[in-house]
Amino acid sequence: MSFIPGQPVTAVVQRIEIRKLRQGEHLILGFSIGGGIDQDPGQNPFSEDKADKGIYVTRVTPGGPAEVAGLMMGDKVMQVNGWDMTMVTHDQARKRLTKKNEEVVRLLVTRKSLEQAVRHSMM
Amino acid sequence: MPAEVKQEQSPSNQTSLAMMQEPQDVVEETVTIEEDPGTPTSHVSVVTSDDGTTRRTETKDMSTNLKVTKMVKTVTTRTVRQVPLGPDGLPLPEGSSPLGSYTDSIDRRYLKNGERYITTPQATSTLTRSYNNYNDSYSDTPPPDASGSQYGGRHYGLHDGYGIGDVTENYGSLSRGVNYRPPRYPYAMANSYRPENSYVTLPIRKDDYGHMAQPQVPMGSSTVDLNRSQPERFQPEPYGLEDDRRSLGPDEEEPYDLEPDYSTASRRQGTLPGTNRGRTLREPLRDGPRVRGYEDPMEAELIDERHPYIQGMYAAPLAQPERGSMASLDRLAGRRSPSIDSIRKDPRWRDPDLQEVIAMLGHPIDPVKSNAAAYLQHLCYENDKIKKDVRQLKGIPVLTGLLDHPKAEVHRKACGALRNISYGKDHDNKVAIKNCDGIPALIRLLRKTNDMEVRELITGTLWNLSSYEPLKMVIINHGLQTMTNEVIIPHSGWEHEPNEDSKPRDAEWTTVFKNTSGCLRNVSSDGAEARRRLRECEGLVDALLHALQSAVGKKDMDNKSVENCVCIMRNLSYHVHKEIPGAEKFTDPSALQAPGSAGTQRKKKEDAGCFGGKKAKGRKNGENDKNYDTLDLPKRTEPTKGFELLYQPEVVRLYLSLLTESQNYNTLEAAAGALQNLSAGQWTWSNYIRATVRKEKGLPILVELLRSDSDKVVRAVAIALRNLSIDRRNKDLIGSYAMRDLVSNLPSGQQRPAKNLEEDTVVAILNTIHEIVTDSSENARSLIQAQAIEKLVAINKTSQSSRENKAASHVLQTVWSYKDLRNALTKDGWNKSHFQPATTSVPKAAKNGKPGYDDTTLPLMEKNQGQSGLAGETGDHPGLAYCGELNGYSTIDQRDKDCKYQSGGDGSVDLAEREPLKNDTHRKHYIRSNRPAVSLVDAYDVKPQPVDSWV
Repeated sequence: MSFIPGQPVTAVVQRIEIRKLRQGEHLILGFSIGGGIDQDPGQNPFSEDKADKGIYVTRVTPGGPAEVAGLMMGDKVMQVNGWDMTMVTHDQARKRLTKKNEEVVRLLVTRKSLEQAVRHSMM
Repeated sequence: MPAEVKQEQSPSNQTSLAMMQEPQDVVEETVTIEEDPGTPTSHVSVVTSDDGTTRRTETKDMSTNLKVTKMVKTVTTRTVRQVPLGPDGLPLPEGSSPLGSYTDSIDRRYLKNGERYITTPQATSTLTRSYNNYNDSYSDTPPPDASGSQYGGRHYGLHDGYGIGDVTENYGSLSRGVNYRPPRYPYAMANSYRPENSYVTLPIRKDDYGHMAQPQVPMGSSTVDLNRSQPERFQPEPYGLEDDRRSLGPDEEEPYDLEPDYSTASRRQGTLPGTNRGRTLREPLRDGPRVRGYEDPMEAELIDERHPYIQGMYAAPLAQPERGSMASLDRLAGRRSPSIDSIRKDPRWRDPDLQEVIAMLGHPIDPVKSNAAAYLQHLCYENDKIKKDVRQLKGIPVLTGLLDHPKAEVHRKACGALRNISYGKDHDNKVAIKNCDGIPALIRLLRKTNDMEVRELITGTLWNLSSYEPLKMVIINHGLQTMTNEVIIPHSGWEHEPNEDSKPRDAEWTTVFKNTSGCLRNVSSDGAEARRRLRECEGLVDALLHALQSAVGKKDMDNKSVENCVCIMRNLSYHVHKEIPGAEKFTDPSALQAPGSAGTQRKKKEDAGCFGGKKAKGRKNGENDKNYDTLDLPKRTEPTKGFELLYQPEVVRLYLSLLTESQNYNTLEAAAGALQNLSAGQWTWSNYIRATVRKEKGLPILVELLRSDSDKVVRAVAIALRNLSIDRRNKDLIGSYAMRDLVSNLPSGQQRPAKNLEEDTVVAILNTIHEIVTDSSENARSLIQAQAIEKLVAINKTSQSSRENKAASHVLQTVWSYKDLRNALTKDGWNKSHFQPATTSVPKAAKNGKPGYDDTTLPLMEKNQGQSGLAGETGDHPGLAYCGELNGYSTIDQRDKDCKYQSGGDGSVDLAEREPLKNDTHRKHYIRSNRPAVSLVDAYDVKPQPVDSWV
């Protein structure tokens, strides 16, 4: 997912819709995110480009709403409900995902396997 | 000195390089110049025989000066040199000593030339002749006497700048040449300076200044060298034939109209030099940076003069020479090249000694002045001895006088020299600058010039000066408003009346801004009056805040300018609750009570007075949460400005952003210190600040920083937390969520270096813990759960530090005072004796059971943290000041290395901070892996810097 700042990014994305699960007073999605422009991108184990400060899915709860919806560990979150997630802080991303008044979040994610699959099919 | 940078040397090297190229072409002779490594001042005199053999004699000793009544052409070299006589044959005054060194060099050159060029007119010059003679006997194997005396003289002259006996003689020779020059040249400068130094810069005229010859000498020598190098070519010159001295003088006059202006030496050099110069310059470079500087001026002048004359003849050589002063400068800036060595060997060249250089500062020709100043800068670089010598030779008043010189080149170089001189631990140099009104002169120039380089030099010098306590107020008096108006405000991007059409400007992190902010940072630590002045300086606080906000906005928070700004803000925030005009209005009456007691804290708010009583529900217990949470800040009809901005709750977000984002330990410490200062005290605004920190979710940020690798950051944060816990709600949160991190910073028994924090830091943490557990059994319980008791007991019993013992003891006593906790403690195997002051550490504290037992209310360590011993107060952390000093070419980074903390205001400053940071490699792992979900903030979901967030 390397990109040149200022240039449009082309990515193969998948839409994933997750319905939040209510646990007590909390609504959970069942996955964790890492990254963000305020984090050290060098520590992100999932990114190809270690300068990528995007939001990545770091863990997915087995059987949780995210897994059910098809989210996978290592996915890069591009958008949440239409909001860009490629240039946000970690906290902004978290907040965007945990709106209490939103039962559903629609993600746009990309992952290596998607790109490879597309490339493969095109060849 | 730490501050000094190597860079200066490098410049010289460059110079040398430049010179090298030229000289090679020109130089006929091969001279090996020896330099005395040990003593910078000592000059090596190289004698080159015609054959190209070179001898070096370094003279340091100028034991005896031979005074020759006259210079006889046939005179042996020694005698010649020694002869103090002017061209006229008059004995030169001893004062001319500096010349001596020059003469030596001249002699040398002559020798070479003489041998080679005996026939040449140059050779004819008296000096040459004498030298020649000398050479003959001397050249290959310098006679011991001659070498000793002459060379000794030279060195001496160079070193001390006052080669009395020998120098004189030498001078004599040189001066003669000079003397012969026409009286045209006015050397007022020289005269004025002579008295002290007895060295006139370049006084060519002997008539006027028989004694003054010295200055001339250097010039002469250089000129001589030049001539010699090219003497052959110059044969046409009649002068050469004349007595050395005379020849020089006359030569200049006659052949070169221009020359008259220039000192004889320079003229000659200029003329002949075209070719020589390059070499000469190079040579000097070899010897040392100084030489170059010196030569440069000469060359420049010479070149100018030469042009008409030389150009025709020696176009090629001239090309470089023409650069003249500039070239020299470049050289200074440059680095040495290997070729330098070869250059140095050229015997013809001699470095001017310090007196001569200083004398040249008064030379009527501007390029000479600027080159002399540039050379001085070079010489002073990383050389405290030279700086001292310059001071003792009264060079500093001359330099400061040049600050008002209309020509940019001159005041620029003077500034550069002053910057280097002002750098270092020798405060006498700084005082000397101040004593000759250098500070107002610098400020004047700052107002006047638009040259960025000059401004950098001025502000760098001021920064250096500001590191010395007694000068701080002087700088404030003369320069505060100017620095603010000329630098801080424009570079901060802040505008008095923002134009709505234009976008708010960002701060520019220029060197000038960095230097100026560094200067203000230093002066801001000069006590209450300094703080008052800075606070009330129009636009300063506004601009600094704007700059910091700009830094946060741009995520550019690690640079030195930001650090300086934060440090200033922190210093200005110190004691703000006591020093702000009208502060009384905001003071909580309750504050006047025992600050240490937790109960009083709550009451403070009541006083809010003008802000309405709501806040002030003062709880004696700590339930005021509601109040704080709903804290309503006073409404303002007018925009806040000036020092009021210091303590507006809005700044909290700024500091928290810095604490979150900056990687610069100094910035982190200062930002934490600012919060510490603002949250100290018992006035209304500190109540707001404390609550705002919580509401802005600052507590987790601070707690996170308890894991910092930097000792001083940990300390500042710990003290800030202590002050923040004056707020009851904060205390509960901190007790719940920060306890583990606080405790983890404590040394555990034997294995002290968990983090190896300094004593001050450990004590600060202990005091913070004490504050947190005071009046809160809940927090005491948290403390026990954090496994702190074992550590505390260990500290109490085994620590080598009595302060740590005491602090730990206070905490333990407080814990034991909660009777409801004793059961739990007993279950864990503790008993009362563990909570008593260790007998060893606290001898008097009763060994018996209860001494100090009920002392929970006693002040914590009085001595600790300044006087902030009492629970609620702390805070006042003095401002930090770096002694940033710029050295010539040195960069600011150096300062960082040397930076010392200077005590901030009131003596309550903690000096302990000087210690280097200690890095604990374990820490990072700890931080990342073990990070508790900190939720100090009211909102449960706050996570300061999550690495991984479940959603």
